Amino acid sequence: MSQNIVVIGGGPAGIEASRRLRDLGYTPLLVEKEPVLGGHLARWDRLFPDGVEARSVLEPMLQDLDGIKYFTDTEISSINRLKDTWVVKFSNGLSAQVRAILMTTGFDLFKAEKKEEYGYGIYERVITNADLEAWFKSGAAPQFDHVHTIGFVHCVGSRDEKAGNRQCSKVCCVTAVKQACEFKEKFPETTVYCFYMDLRMFGRKFEDLYLKAQKEYGIRFVRGRVSEVSEDIDGHLFVKAEDTLFGKPMKIKMDMLVLMAGMTPAADTQELSRMVNILPGEDGFFQPQSLVSNPCTSSREGIFFAGTATGPKTLPETLSEAGAAALAIDRYLKTPLK
Amino acid sequence: MLYQGKQKIWADYQKEIPNDHWFYVRSCIRQTFFPASEKMFLEILRNRLGKDIYETPSHTTCGGIAYHSEAIPQETVMTIIARQFALMTEAGYENYVCSCITSFGLYNEVMEDWREFPELEAKIRENLWKATRREFKIPKYLAHASDLIYKFRNEIAEQAKFRLVNKNTGEPLRVVEHIGCHYSKMFPSKGVGGAEYPYVLTGMVESWGGEVIDYPERRHCCGFGFRQYLVKANRGYSVSNTHKKFESMEPFEPDMIITNCPGCPYFLDRWQYVIAEQTGKTYGKDGYGIPVFTYEEVAGLVLGYDPWDLGLQTHQVAVEPLLDKIGIPYHPEDKYKGLNGKQLQRPEFPMNIKCC
Amino acid sequence: MGKIYDRLAQDYRIKEGLKACIGCGTCTAICPAAEFYRYNPKKIVTIVQSRDDDAIIELLKSDVIWYCGECLSCVTRCPRKNAPGLVIVALRALSIELGYFAESEKGRQQLPLMHALQRNVLNYGYCVYPMTFAYEMHPEYGLVGKWQKEHIQDVYERLGAHLGQVGPGALRKIPQESLDELTAIFDLTGATRWMEIVEEKSQEKAREMGLSIEEYEAQAFTQTNACHLNPEN
Repeated sequence: MSQNIVVIGGGPAGIEASRRLRDLGYTPLLVEKEPVLGGHLARWDRLFPDGVEARSVLEPMLQDLDGIKYFTDTEISSINRLKDTWVVKFSNGLSAQVRAILMTTGFDLFKAEKKEEYGYGIYERVITNADLEAWFKSGAAPQFDHVHTIGFVHCVGSRDEKAGNRQCSKVCCVTAVKQACEFKEKFPETTVYCFYMDLRMFGRKFEDLYLKAQKEYGIRFVRGRVSEVSEDIDGHLFVKAEDTLFGKPMKIKMDMLVLMAGMTPAADTQELSRMVNILPGEDGFFQPQSLVSNPCTSSREGIFFAGTATGPKTLPETLSEAGAAALAIDRYLKTPLK
Repeated sequence: MLYQGKQKIWADYQKEIPNDHWFYVRSCIRQTFFPASEKMFLEILRNRLGKDIYETPSHTTCGGIAYHSEAIPQETVMTIIARQFALMTEAGYENYVCSCITSFGLYNEVMEDWREFPELEAKIRENLWKATRREFKIPKYLAHASDLIYKFRNEIAEQAKFRLVNKNTGEPLRVVEHIGCHYSKMFPSKGVGGAEYPYVLTGMVESWGGEVIDYPERRHCCGFGFRQYLVKANRGYSVSNTHKKFESMEPFEPDMIITNCPGCPYFLDRWQYVIAEQTGKTYGKDGYGIPVFTYEEVAGLVLGYDPWDLGLQTHQVAVEPLLDKIGIPYHPEDKYKGLNGKQLQRPEFPMNIKCC
Repeated sequence: MGKIYDRLAQDYRIKEGLKACIGCGTCTAICPAAEFYRYNPKKIVTIVQSRDDDAIIELLKSDVIWYCGECLSCVTRCPRKNAPGLVIVALRALSIELGYFAESEKGRQQLPLMHALQRNVLNYGYCVYPMTFAYEMHPEYGLVGKWQKEHIQDVYERLGAHLGQVGPGALRKIPQESLDELTAIFDLTGATRWMEIVEEKSQEKAREMGLSIEEYEAQAFTQTNACHLNPEN
């Protein structure tokens, strides 16, 4: 009988790590609180930089779950240390005694309504990146007619002391550019704005995407963080930002606004940290032993991390880390006890 | 407009406002331009609601306008404020309510500074002792006078004789609410409803039957700007800001404006007159302006007080069209009389904006 | 890091208002002064942040720092919890202390402004007071305002005010002991000193400009150059 390992969180990190652990001969017990596996990836349409369909990445993973025991609609009720093991109780009544737990709890999308001055949840024409992606995926008819002008607002809930999140969420800039291009593809007559502070095009092919956005799609990039959104009598939006490159405040009328909601620590992080007696980082994400050389191990024996649970990441980084975590767990379990 | 979104925000920004026993300080601008409003505030709280609101004749300006015009340094205004707190302490109170929004913002700012820099508080205590031999305690609660009227808005609604409803159509009046910048822009958590969708006036309007309008420049400053108004050379700034607000609210056809800052109703009222005389444009119907009120005036109106007891005769923009809309009776012949029916010569009327 | 910056950094408004600016522009986007004047709060904060004494001195001598209306809308929006409005107030205070205010048209307004406000506070205990609020200086007060001034005692009586009278009430006569305390506070905490500095520097500047002090003060109160305005508007 192979060893059980509890994997908390059934998004891409958890699924990938489970597959690697299974390949190494373990039995992952994958616990997911949502009704389905896949995490945020299940809700995305297409991925940067090349526009690969998200499901083309996720579906092969979901078809390869033999030997993995997974439980959806299930949460962790308690975790307790017993000698050199962890006793984990699930909300479905099952429990497991394991030597290793992998936390792949992922991130929560920043609740855009908290950024009150942007009017999400108050002005109908203000939506988030998640809303737009869901709409792209659904293929449904457009919600609003005649969208002549649309704006993408970078850094919503990121790099924002007032919102309680100092961190940059890493992927929103390239996602905004991706979505801006996709929107323009569908609606070539629309004027598309991106309101950014810095354009973080750090990955391979990202700068190409930016260049394409400018040259082929005519996306207008305004270097200025959006200060305020208000609604006109006909429901259209006014956006106030400064064009900092010109040093001029501007007020632009828009038909729609897309807020690039950032990545925040998953709500469960505090509770799970408490259960295993580790401190999350000051920013609320799980704290690995080293952000540089040991991103998958924690300060506690037998507790491991992978994916956005320890901070904003791209999908390829998450998948790599999932593999690294599986190897770290394997190494740990094969090390003789002292 | 999704109203539930705003309700969620209002639920987040509730603040504790004690029920009774307040030490009251007045506002320089309120006293100069809207003295009847302050009288109505005390009338409502003392006589209608039976509250204990205490005023000492020895209290002075908080110095806020002088401070924001750089007429006095920060240390001076903090010591004047300390003196006000000392008067509160000596009178045996711990709840402090001020009539002015600039004061409210400044008191909050000063108390925050003292919290963060205890050495500064120590210095001011020393200053106060040296200059006046007084000592003070920091108030337990600080409220703005509009917070109190907000707190008791339902009690006022119960006693009200009129509602903010158009008596001919039965529709709620369309009300623009204007919050003074220093109420919540610096410390959103200190204002009811926060900084983006303040609820202190909206709550009153809704309780009294009206409907609040959201228009694009709702949060924009009225343009007082302290030195930008007090020095004649700068007044273009002040009127431009108000003009911007009126241009923005015009399509929404508001019936009235309610404010909680002492300066704002003065500016929103008088600049309409200036814009009309300079450009011929008026924002109300039929050549009238949009009447601007203090929250005490609106409370007094719904409770059934005589409009001329409320000081509405000293507004430049005529209030009569609105009184007619609500169905509030008034005696036009008494409008410009002094006390006890004393006859006074009536004011001249402007060229381009209709007055009564 | 120079001496002027060091002095500025001692101000509590800088301690509160300048964490570190990333130049995102949310303050300028929302600033009423940036709409109407040639003003950009982001630029000013960036200059202060640079700690360049020469650049800061230039600011202190310029019109630019006097455009802000202190509405504090910038404070609501800044993602780094800066307060450009507070930085401006600190710059203004330093400009007064060092006498640089007299070098700019908007700065010279300090003389009539401080006279009016300090006198109101010390003589009456109010910042704004009907007896010193002259209709001729404030035609925007309106024709009803003119009427109110012409019948000042009757109108205020009708409104229930307590104008110039003893005891609690609106516009009461504040007891002389209280006014004396305000004077003592002014003397101790620097307000009197500020008035002296402003009067002295204004006298010097008036002489330099070939004006009597009365002419200088009247000009400062009424004169404004179109160069202050934002050409976009």
